[in-house]
Amino acid sequence: MSDSAQIETAMLDLDRQDHAARPVPDLLFRLGGLIVLASLVLMVAGPWLTPFDIGRPSDDIMLPPPDLLAVPHLLLQVVTRAPHDPIHWFGTDSAGLDVFSRVLAAPRADVTIAVGANLFSLVVGSLIGLFAGTARPWLANLTMRLSDLVQAFPVFITGMILVTLAGRSNSTIVVTLALLYTPIYVRLTRSEVLTQRNRGFIDAARALGKNEAAIALRHVLPNALAPAMIQASVTIGFAILMTAGLSFVGAGVRPPTPEWGLMIAAGADGIVQAEWWPSVFPGIAISITVFGYAAFGNGLERRHAR
Amino acid sequence: MPGDLAPILSVRGLSVGFRGIPAVCDVSFDIAPGEIVGLTGDSGSGKSTLGLALLGLVRQPGRILGGSVTIEGVDLLQLPEAERRARRGRQIGLIVQNPRGSLSPLHTVGRQIRSVLRAHLTLSSAQATGRAVGLLRQLGLNDPERRAHSYPHEISGGMAQRVLIAMATGAGPRLLVADEPTSGLDVTIQAQFLDELSRTSRAAGSAVLLMTQDLGIIANYCDRVLVMQEGRIVASDLPAAFFAAPRDSYSRSLLSLAHAPPPPLPTAPAELLAVRGLSKNFRLRGSGKTLQAVDRVDLAIGRGETLGLVGESGSGKTTVGRCLLRLLDADAGEVVFEGKDLLRATPHDLRSTRRRIQIVFQDPLDALDPRWSVSRIVSEALLRPDPGRIAELLTLVGLDPAVAKLRPRGLSAGAQQRVGIARAIAADPALIVLDEPTSALTPMARVGIVALLRELQARLGMSYLFISHDLNTVEQLSHRVAVMYLGQIVELGAREQVFQAPRHPYAKALLAAHLAPDPGRRRVDRVPGAGLVGEIPSPIDLPPGCYLAGRCPEAVASCRTTPQPLYEFADGGRVRCTPAAVRAGLIPIPDRPPGRVLQNTVAA
Repeated sequence: MSDSAQIETAMLDLDRQDHAARPVPDLLFRLGGLIVLASLVLMVAGPWLTPFDIGRPSDDIMLPPPDLLAVPHLLLQVVTRAPHDPIHWFGTDSAGLDVFSRVLAAPRADVTIAVGANLFSLVVGSLIGLFAGTARPWLANLTMRLSDLVQAFPVFITGMILVTLAGRSNSTIVVTLALLYTPIYVRLTRSEVLTQRNRGFIDAARALGKNEAAIALRHVLPNALAPAMIQASVTIGFAILMTAGLSFVGAGVRPPTPEWGLMIAAGADGIVQAEWWPSVFPGIAISITVFGYAAFGNGLERRHAR
Repeated sequence: MPGDLAPILSVRGLSVGFRGIPAVCDVSFDIAPGEIVGLTGDSGSGKSTLGLALLGLVRQPGRILGGSVTIEGVDLLQLPEAERRARRGRQIGLIVQNPRGSLSPLHTVGRQIRSVLRAHLTLSSAQATGRAVGLLRQLGLNDPERRAHSYPHEISGGMAQRVLIAMATGAGPRLLVADEPTSGLDVTIQAQFLDELSRTSRAAGSAVLLMTQDLGIIANYCDRVLVMQEGRIVASDLPAAFFAAPRDSYSRSLLSLAHAPPPPLPTAPAELLAVRGLSKNFRLRGSGKTLQAVDRVDLAIGRGETLGLVGESGSGKTTVGRCLLRLLDADAGEVVFEGKDLLRATPHDLRSTRRRIQIVFQDPLDALDPRWSVSRIVSEALLRPDPGRIAELLTLVGLDPAVAKLRPRGLSAGAQQRVGIARAIAADPALIVLDEPTSALTPMARVGIVALLRELQARLGMSYLFISHDLNTVEQLSHRVAVMYLGQIVELGAREQVFQAPRHPYAKALLAAHLAPDPGRRRVDRVPGAGLVGEIPSPIDLPPGCYLAGRCPEAVASCRTTPQPLYEFADGGRVRCTPAAVRAGLIPIPDRPPGRVLQNTVAA
């Protein structure tokens, strides 16, 4: 140590204040936000934006995507509205369906399921978390152990059991994922509730004679939700991955609905014959979406911590 | 005497600016050997920036724009950075706020002192260790060899502050810059620390620049006072002249309340609250041990009266306040408020009487829901929404009704505390528990809150339980004062009696550590009485007799074995000390436990 420690500490403190004062442009956060926004637009309007009918096969079966060198020329044709043959940007699959159109239409299934499951577990999980954070110790402990139990079930097994019991449908996946994610929100909300519960304004409300339930709902819960909301963004991304995974193993979305996991599964056999496009493009779509949600969630977390 | 010798520090025309905005403008002053100069001023006046500039340091993006900082004949600002760095620590020491945060948690304190010593002096490792232990011993740490092997989290805040002094003074700097060195410390620790600081600097003949907003520290320890306002030094005075007639507006408003007594009491006030035998223990998780927070506390508050409850951190004063509001459930005792025992009230009764006791908290921001607007926060205390009443309440606490739309974060700490007070009075209470309401505020905001509380009491006639460790504000607000030590009330009496003639040895020590903003009552000039020794015992493992016996200069043999009852004196004051009662002639036979003790109190 060449300098006295307290001076260094003082300087560190000053540096820290400085960083807080100057907001750093957060590129990853913005890129993530853009991806999230795009996925939500496609969720709502994807099937209407497709260049081809996603249900009607064309005569070209297993048509490869256009050569990379030809892409600029084709783009020019589209932009200038010059007359041209229909273009299958991502090629066609073994049934002759346009891969690009189906990749665009898939968020209607994937994102809806992921968002729906998370919305459900966010609402249910934070209410249970609020209960676990305010109830008597033995009730709180019981709740938390039950939530551990639910979390301990392997998700694929749960999914398959539910498929056997209730049949293969989108709502089965929503229930599976909601079961998987609810304990996360329970835990997050509970720990935040435990901090918020000790704050001065809670005691002030008690001193005003407000009852505990009103305090929990009006003061504790709204202030305890931020971490759960941030978590939701990250978890939605993973839920998309999980939806695709469940569909891939046959415990998810029913074909012929356009869905990324199903598309990968259907195209998987062709990969050995160098017919990569029916699988690789939906795979890339999943990667970009999951990355986008994670980057957006991390950005939110950084902003919240500030 | 200081002033006649060549100055150690000579600052001429020093200016620091932040992107063209001046923070320190054209500052010039000298400090002589052995002199302690106090630098005061409101937050944001540029004190800390000036202090750092004296070390040749400046926060980004600031720059030193001009001037000179001459230390023992050499202008520090003209030296290359490497040379400046060598002089920091060796020639200039810096003590900052937050002692524990300034120590590295990964290394023992002995090692940290040693590394500073070895950076500036040619010492072998063994010599440095010896010197570090020696420094700690000089600073009054008992068992310094063992302390040197402690990590920062294992020592108390007061000890951590002494470690920082050892680091700052170890290389024998000629100039010591101390920036609010005692904020956050308990009064007795603060006094010990400042005593040591002034003793060290007088003995070594070094110069000290003591930056503080606490005029009590200035009055008690400084040889000269500099006042900063908006980056300029607006006054430079001897303490006597400064306190007699401060020349700047800031110090004038700070001192305006210094000698004003609290609002007069109605004659023979009716009793509003009576607390008897209140006890609260906390069971510690895991070990199964119990922490005794409050032990059989008796107190009463009349209508329109303020009872000051003082004591150091951990004395249980906040727990008493929380038990009164039933924010905590007491283990035993009764709290009779307006004729009803609150501890035995049904939940329904409790809800209606609860509004009659309100609370104002220490941390003003934490006490307000960050997501709610000011008007919604105040409205929560009203039985029905009433925008007119909200505006009236905000005006009453000295706020512009336009703040109603803002959220708490947009207000200054003083204004946040005013919102908290507005919410408390909105419920039309008969008693407000003020739990250190001024401790988190700047002295300027503190003066405003104290004035507001006095004005509200005069106008609305409610009673206060004022919990604080700041004896200056207690003196300005309280009619009667209770002193707590380790969960027990050790002395209770009228303000004048407790402040001027405390009877309990702990109250004496607390008052002796009190730094009044009055150069006529300087601590350094007072005859040093036999003070307390050692550290406060742990409330988990209390001694069998009097809790103070191990530290008390007046203790006799029986104090260590017999719990002390509260004795009531002829003037109504109560003291938990047998030797004091013997001296006052309350009980005849010294050094023997009194025959019968009724309840917890012996009447005179």
